[in-house]
Amino acid sequence: MTKELERKFSQELEGNQSIIHKICRSYTNSEAAHKDLFQEITIQLWRAYPKFRGDSKFSTWMYRVAFNTAISLYRKSKRTVQTSPIYDNLKELEFHDYDETHDKQLELLYKAIQSLNDIEKALALLYLEDKSYKEIALTLGISEVNARVKMNRTKTKLKNILNP
Amino acid sequence: MEQLEKLKDVWKNQGESAIRFSKEDIRDMLQKKSSSIVKWILIISILEFVLPNLIYLVTDHESSRRIYENYGLTNITMIYTAINVVIICVFIYFFYKNYKSISADSSVKILLHNILKTRKTVKYYIYYNLTMAAIIGVHIFYIVFNSESFLENIPKELSLVTVWLVALLLLSIAIFIFWIFYRVLYGILLKKLNKNYEELLRNE
Repeated sequence: MTKELERKFSQELEGNQSIIHKICRSYTNSEAAHKDLFQEITIQLWRAYPKFRGDSKFSTWMYRVAFNTAISLYRKSKRTVQTSPIYDNLKELEFHDYDETHDKQLELLYKAIQSLNDIEKALALLYLEDKSYKEIALTLGISEVNARVKMNRTKTKLKNILNP
Repeated sequence: MEQLEKLKDVWKNQGESAIRFSKEDIRDMLQKKSSSIVKWILIISILEFVLPNLIYLVTDHESSRRIYENYGLTNITMIYTAINVVIICVFIYFFYKNYKSISADSSVKILLHNILKTRKTVKYYIYYNLTMAAIIGVHIFYIVFNSESFLENIPKELSLVTVWLVALLLLSIAIFIFWIFYRVLYGILLKKLNKNYEELLRNE
């Protein structure tokens, strides 16, 4: 029975893992830490899995557990190696200048997100994923009004980092 | 803000992550141990519940019984022990109840609230212990300093006021050191959680 559940779980997670990688990349700044956080999220998802009844989509439920792990549960392991500062070349990103390659822009966007605080990171990710204010409020557990206020601040902060 | 809207395209068009895991990798991860903060809170809290009581186990019961009898402390220590056992049980019940409410699939705010509440139970337990240490300490000093066997042996040149002052000072220092040690431990453990919780509640 457990084996069957493990098989089902790992299959679902394998298919939905990109969202977790986006969260890991936003909350860590090295490959080792990224893998470490991914593992902790997987363990937390597996523990909560028996309670997942399918009332919500697997991806929505996964989002919640992954954010909770990144924001509250995860403690940086000693294995984590600190990498060099993440602000290099940040000013290079010009919104109207699309000569830059897509990859470069994405990298700078991630670096900007990494410099936000834990809650702002979640807001930035939820914004980029086009989630509604209702869903953002539900995920974070705050009122919709507060979600809007926080989102506006986060967007301004993000804009200032990217385009000072 | 329109510029940020454009970034959504960059975001949406990102390919697969450079790091990817197979089904087998994921199944291997399920066997790994969690390093979550909740696990550490549980371990440290259990130690905090158990350690103060371990002191009781390592004391020399025969000699302490003699001291108790000598100064007439037998009844009072029994009463305090009984109160303490009841109160520890109440604390452990609340700790367990709060601990069980911690769930990784609740909202971020509720999860943070539940972790901090669980930890608060232990904080109050420690404060209870320090308060009791002060009350019992003063009570025992009072009984001992008024007992015949103490008054007979006290040197003539030493006034009772000096004895009281020294005893109270030593007791305060001991409690203060424990309190500082506890604040530091509490701070290290919960710094990130408190910060995120406050950030989340701002403007609510």
